[in-house]
Amino acid sequence: MPCKWVRSALLSLPIALMLAAAPPAMPQQRPDPLENSIDRWNRMSPEERERELAKLPPARARLIRQRLRRYNQMQPQEQQALRQRYQTFSQLPAAKQEVVRQRLREFRQLPTARQPVVHHEVEQLRLLPEDQREARLNSEEFRGRYSPQEQQIIHDLTEYLEPPK
Amino acid sequence: MLVAYAAGELDLETAGALEGHLAGCPACRSLAAEQAAVWQALDAWEAPAISPDFNRRLYRRIQNEVRLSWWERLTRAFRPMPLRQALPLTATAGLLLMAGLILHRPNPVAPARPRAETVRAEQVETTLDDLELLRQFAPAGSAEGGRPDAM
Repeated sequence: MPCKWVRSALLSLPIALMLAAAPPAMPQQRPDPLENSIDRWNRMSPEERERELAKLPPARARLIRQRLRRYNQMQPQEQQALRQRYQTFSQLPAAKQEVVRQRLREFRQLPTARQPVVHHEVEQLRLLPEDQREARLNSEEFRGRYSPQEQQIIHDLTEYLEPPK
Repeated sequence: MLVAYAAGELDLETAGALEGHLAGCPACRSLAAEQAAVWQALDAWEAPAISPDFNRRLYRRIQNEVRLSWWERLTRAFRPMPLRQALPLTATAGLLLMAGLILHRPNPVAPARPRAETVRAEQVETTLDDLELLRQFAPAGSAEGGRPDAM
């Protein structure tokens, strides 16, 4: 009888140890997929934020404070849309991010009348399947309608700023 | 039924019927033979004779048990136990303890939200620049952008 006890105990031991070693299911807080550095900045204590801002020249620090205030005061819907777009952008490799920055700066330099036209084209191209988009970008009509710079802006922003499917 | 048959506990009619079956069933015949061998062995076994003073020693021991002082009774439980008895008890106690720890383990405390990581002001400035660029790439009349005001 004692032998049976010992045998049962020894056989149960590995199972008990495995159970003990298994990490218990624990509710985990899912990180916000759209989190950006401003969200992290907003989580810092006011003292920490001021300490970081104090490392910059006062005028620059003041400007950052103003811009942050404007960002934090944005309408939630508007802010969410912007965060979504920024998320797509921030996931690009650094080189592509730089291309997008350049194109966006160029877009900003376009004549005011051309900006909505270019923007509309990008939005329309995003709706098209890959092959149709390529056909459109290579069409005579497209080339005749947009300047080479606009074509480049449209091409790159359509390709790089496409929201994840 | 074979066990009862080997022990000679079946009535004649049932035993006769079983013997009829055994004649034609080698498997049952073999089992019956084995059972019979066991019973024969048990019949042949003789219990070892007890010592002449067995009863006297037994009663003395019982008396001694009754005479144990309260202290001896209390400490008897803590006296070293033979390994043969102690091992299964220790193993079982260990398992029970482990099971208790597993089943009644207090809810693990969710790790405190990690202290907000420090973000450099320059990093925030870069993000604000990018957000502003992205914000301005929007239809002129839309709610989300296309506005000249800096963010």
